[in-house]
Amino acid sequence: MSKIEEVKSRVEAGKTKLVSGLVQEALDEGNSPNDILQCMIDGMKVVGDRFSAGEIFVPEMLIAAKAMKKGVEVLEPHLADGASTSLGTCIIGTVEGDLHDIGKNLVSLMIGSAGFHMVDLGVDVPAAKFFDAIKQNKNVKLVACSGLLTTTMPAMKETVKAIKNSGLTGFKVIVGGAPITPEYASEIGADAYAPDAGAAAEKAKEMVAA
Amino acid sequence: MEMIIIAEKINGSIPSVAKAIAQKDADFIRNLAKAQSGAGADFIDVCASVDTDMEVETMKWLIDLVQEVTETPIAIDSPSADVCAEALKLCKRPGLVNSVSLEGDKIDIIFPVIADTKWECAALLCDDTGIPKSSKKRLEVFLTIMEKAKEYNIDPSRLHIDPIIEMLCTSETGIKIIVDVMARIKAQYPAIHVTGAASNISYNLPARQRINQAFVVLAMNAGMDSVILDPLNRNIMGLIYATEALLGKDEYCIEYINAYREGVFGTKK
Repeated sequence: MSKIEEVKSRVEAGKTKLVSGLVQEALDEGNSPNDILQCMIDGMKVVGDRFSAGEIFVPEMLIAAKAMKKGVEVLEPHLADGASTSLGTCIIGTVEGDLHDIGKNLVSLMIGSAGFHMVDLGVDVPAAKFFDAIKQNKNVKLVACSGLLTTTMPAMKETVKAIKNSGLTGFKVIVGGAPITPEYASEIGADAYAPDAGAAAEKAKEMVAA
Repeated sequence: MEMIIIAEKINGSIPSVAKAIAQKDADFIRNLAKAQSGAGADFIDVCASVDTDMEVETMKWLIDLVQEVTETPIAIDSPSADVCAEALKLCKRPGLVNSVSLEGDKIDIIFPVIADTKWECAALLCDDTGIPKSSKKRLEVFLTIMEKAKEYNIDPSRLHIDPIIEMLCTSETGIKIIVDVMARIKAQYPAIHVTGAASNISYNLPARQRINQAFVVLAMNAGMDSVILDPLNRNIMGLIYATEALLGKDEYCIEYINAYREGVFGTKK
């Protein structure tokens, strides 16, 4: 196994203690920082896919993301500014009236691991706060809205509608959360829906590539 | 897993094992050793439960068989300290002596033998007067044992203190005494191990598994970190992993998940 493959497999296995050392070794061997970053992103794709398929559990995804983070810390000084978040900025938050953050945090972690700069607005986020964040941050490519309650589905609808009608452009809107369906997502005008954190990261990549 | 599992199945007081010993059925013993080791045993308990005149010989037969098939250390289990002292010489690697107490000269036979070794030792909190009824008395026995341990330079981390688990059905206060003793011992010597024979708790009650399982959870909460049980019992092994996770000893539940994947518990695939 090459060093770079080893980095990938250790990220997948969530070996938080090993990854930073391996990334350093991969750098010392002369691998390009971008290639090392890409292998970790690829590793996280495997993790996301396995999670979506129900093969691994939430904690395994969490420690994989944590392992990647350790690797990125070592890599960061060797990367061009912003290279580790080259896919752009993603604004994420749980919609107004909804205080659930576990699912949103997982999605944030996975989209971040795919190469986005995450701006997490937290929970109970009114539409106005989403706009402000879109305006204030550079290179916003994605806005992700989460909601876990059937009672906050209307707030989700209002938020998406308001963002879409705000005149602000250059980004896509993705939604998700337990009560949300693909049909509902399209009905309220969202660009995409993801059923889980692994799928969210994949969708996010697809949308900015499109 | 933090919990130290002392696997109990090679014990001549179990009828199928007694039969294997009588018939010299070596494969039966080898298989028990292998299976328990594979199920996560930290020590394989070996107890002959035969007449005194053939106990050492039987222990040797059992120990040799276990050591043929596994590197898991052995817990030498005999009511006789002399037999324990003889048997431990037969072991290829340091294990655990099960057990000493303040009864007779047990501790004075065993502690000198293991003084400058890596052998661990289980110590029961009873003396010549029997099993003390109060937690205060048991703690007095404990302190005397610790003085002896110090004398022979046996570090607390090599000791497994067994506060003596008695049957629940005749207790008026449930496991209050045990919980109290366990918690105090752990508070005083954080590195010490607290152990017990979990299945004793349910003697003379129906559906004993329920009681055993509830006991293990409560005792772990009180500080028990070593236990004598059957590691082939998937329910109890799963329960121990679950309890460690609940007690915050398993970050992200990773050990629980890994044990599940390895098939230690859960639905058999």
